[in-house]
Amino acid sequence: MLAEALVSEVLQKARAGGAELAELYVERWRRRALRVLSGEVKEATSGIEYGAGLRLFYGTEVVYAYTNDLSPESLLELTETLVKLKGSAGQVDAGGRGGLDFRKAVARGLHAPAIPFTARDKRYRLERIREAEAGAQVGPQIKQVQSNLMEWEQEVLVANSEGVWAEDRRVRTRLYVTAIAQDESGMQTGVVGPGLSMGLELFDRYPPAEIGRKAGMQALTNLRAKPAPAGSMPVVIGNGFGGVIFHEALGHLLETTSVAKKASVLSDKLGEKVASEVVTYIDDGTTPHGWGSQEFDDEGRPSERTVLIENGVLKSYMVDRLGSLLTGYRPTGSGRRQDYTFAPTSRMRNTFIAPGSTPREKLFEGIEYGLYAADMGGGQVRPGSGEYNFAVKEGYIIRHGRIEEPVRGAMLVGKGPESIQRIVAVSDDLEMGPGMCGSLSGSLPVEVGQPHLLISEIVVGGQA
Amino acid sequence: MTFEEARDYLLQKAKALGIDAEVLATHTRELTIQAHDGKVEEITQATQGGIGVRVVVEGKTGYAYTEERTPEALDWVLQEAHENALLQSETGGFLPAGGALGQHDLLGEGLSAPLEHKRQAALDLEAGLRADARVKQVQMTRYSERETQATLGSTQGVAGAFRNGYALLLTSAIMAEGSSLKQGYEFDLSREFHALEPGRTAQAFLQNTGRLLGARPLKTGRYKAYFEPKAFGQLLGMMGWFLLSAKNVLEGKSLLAGKMGQRVASEMFTLVDDPTLPDGLASRPFDAEGTAAKRTVFIENGLLRTFAHNSETARKMGVENTGHASRSYKGVLGVAPTNLFVQPGQGVQQDEGIIISDLMGLHAGANPISGEFSLQALGLKVEGGEVAYPVENFTVAGNFLELLANITALGTELEWNPLMGIVGSPMVEVAELSFAGA
Repeated sequence: MLAEALVSEVLQKARAGGAELAELYVERWRRRALRVLSGEVKEATSGIEYGAGLRLFYGTEVVYAYTNDLSPESLLELTETLVKLKGSAGQVDAGGRGGLDFRKAVARGLHAPAIPFTARDKRYRLERIREAEAGAQVGPQIKQVQSNLMEWEQEVLVANSEGVWAEDRRVRTRLYVTAIAQDESGMQTGVVGPGLSMGLELFDRYPPAEIGRKAGMQALTNLRAKPAPAGSMPVVIGNGFGGVIFHEALGHLLETTSVAKKASVLSDKLGEKVASEVVTYIDDGTTPHGWGSQEFDDEGRPSERTVLIENGVLKSYMVDRLGSLLTGYRPTGSGRRQDYTFAPTSRMRNTFIAPGSTPREKLFEGIEYGLYAADMGGGQVRPGSGEYNFAVKEGYIIRHGRIEEPVRGAMLVGKGPESIQRIVAVSDDLEMGPGMCGSLSGSLPVEVGQPHLLISEIVVGGQA
Repeated sequence: MTFEEARDYLLQKAKALGIDAEVLATHTRELTIQAHDGKVEEITQATQGGIGVRVVVEGKTGYAYTEERTPEALDWVLQEAHENALLQSETGGFLPAGGALGQHDLLGEGLSAPLEHKRQAALDLEAGLRADARVKQVQMTRYSERETQATLGSTQGVAGAFRNGYALLLTSAIMAEGSSLKQGYEFDLSREFHALEPGRTAQAFLQNTGRLLGARPLKTGRYKAYFEPKAFGQLLGMMGWFLLSAKNVLEGKSLLAGKMGQRVASEMFTLVDDPTLPDGLASRPFDAEGTAAKRTVFIENGLLRTFAHNSETARKMGVENTGHASRSYKGVLGVAPTNLFVQPGQGVQQDEGIIISDLMGLHAGANPISGEFSLQALGLKVEGGEVAYPVENFTVAGNFLELLANITALGTELEWNPLMGIVGSPMVEVAELSFAGA
């Protein structure tokens, strides 16, 4: 995307200005979005995003700049401004003349789309969306269906003064269907939104009619659901997007961004037992076509599979370059950012609880009264205190070991480390689901996943 | 190509193709200084901008945008916007006629202090927190400023520009006492760098987070709720605005549809949006379509007076445009508030109930379509007219419209919260809500 000579000149100039390491990140996006409401195209947009971020390290101090004027004059001027911003730095050896010796790594196309971004016209997309809408019509109470189709293609170049040169092309596609059901009791929603690192062949994995049907069924379930009960009780969490609880309650606490500053309750706990032994927790950036997969992280390091917790024992954190400098832990290819407007920080990729051995039915046995959180919405955590919350999108009461009437509006709250200790059984039916995760370096695609599992006690917020 | 050249290029090309087009360009400069352990740990400097078009072809509307200002990228933008328009099923789209709106500068010299002063502000805020032994870790302390230049033009004659910006002090830290840990945040936001005071922000943090230490579980039950301005502002920004948007009303997603002129809140509740406030953080001379800014009363003494409109929704509903069009260069035409606030009242007497100081999980736990919310909250128990002790690990749940109807008192002072738009609120007392805890 940029000439090697220019990249080299920018990095050398930064080194000559005293930076120990200089990193240039360049990207170009093409995006398309379609919003269709009850058969009508409400909004259709297309866009190009284009820019660069330059990061300089002075020990563990960082200066960062970004711009979307990528002319040579502008980039060199930006470098100069950045060096001056740091101020006191002295002149050091620029490491020779005539350019850097880049080790060029080009993506192997592990997540390459079968249907390229430019293939198929917009009518084709619209037809598939209409199939989803038709699928959602599961009852006369379904009053509206809204579908959002989002597609993007991101070309990335990361180069640094240590000779890293990585180029990646990331294509992602997601269809997000919201069904709205209404009767005299009110309005309720059902939401299903599969997404993967691939092109429109997403629809072969997830037929649109089936996505629509699921959203419609969930809206109907919520319409007949009573308000959730309130209080502390055992909870069985469904597989797939249910894993969002551990994304919030555990994953964020294992990112070096908070671990390095001892701002996580799980800082300095490597080798310690931090969870119940039935818990093995993995962050895998290599899953083929995973929503959170990419061949290189946004610091140019190859993605890897990182075992975070094995049978309850903390094995690794998620480590980016700055996190590694601050803690001494080995980088895990976890440096990610939303786009050039953010410097990277340590972030999750595809994170899941590994399958256990308890048959799913056994999880419900012996629960006198509890909640089955069949499908989850999003959540939030404060890593410093471990306090987290997350919303139940589809829930049912468990009574005498049986799944009974649906309930809506449940919110689960707790403190991460306590909840992890209270996982008493994990089933064998692992599934993954896509989500967007917001943190210091922006909003990123991540997968969360888990098998069905049982937490012995958790606070359920509903109607008292 | 400069932004102005790109805008003119797009408008000329559109005219030559016989397409109606509106061009919105924004250009932003940003500076962030992050302090940690008494040193500046990170500085970010940025310039960013982009240009977006809205075109109308045969009564159909399409959008596209670019951050790359080359003729090839701009040509692609017009072609994609044209294609996107033809894909639309809905006709009746139009661009409002307009004229010269002038060049406005709302920021002035507000951010012109030397870099060294800004660096010091971040360091002073961190030092102010560390002076308290209960502060265990300061996770993040930041001074940040942003100035934005927005330019609007259309083939229908609209032409105008304005510049705005803000300075922000922000910190997030952990306090500990015994085994009790609390992570909190505090910020101050102003159009003037000189209006910020690191010492004041540090004290506010220590006060607001320190009072939550030693929190106990809350017993599940129904209690009277006292929303502090920050917490109510979050809820209002998330739920209230959604219901007032005429776009959502037209799409059948708002519970307020069909309730014009009716009572939708307690009679002491008046909700206003005012883009003309001299110190308003979201003040602007005109909206994203060039409609002049004016004050709007949405709910007056509990009665619904108007929804928030842009030219499209106003024409569809046959009412006056309130000038709430919003669009970023990447986005599509919507409606958005500016400085949205609840008119203060006669004051709140705290006797028995729960003070809610902060809400978490709004993006997942508040459903503006159903109006229902179930949210993690932080707060304090009030007994016999006194704050008895802090409480934790609980949620507050209810229906937003029922909550509005059950407001029993409003505080006398307005506080602004920028977390969910720029929303102002006094203390809000609500007769009874469901709380879930131990």
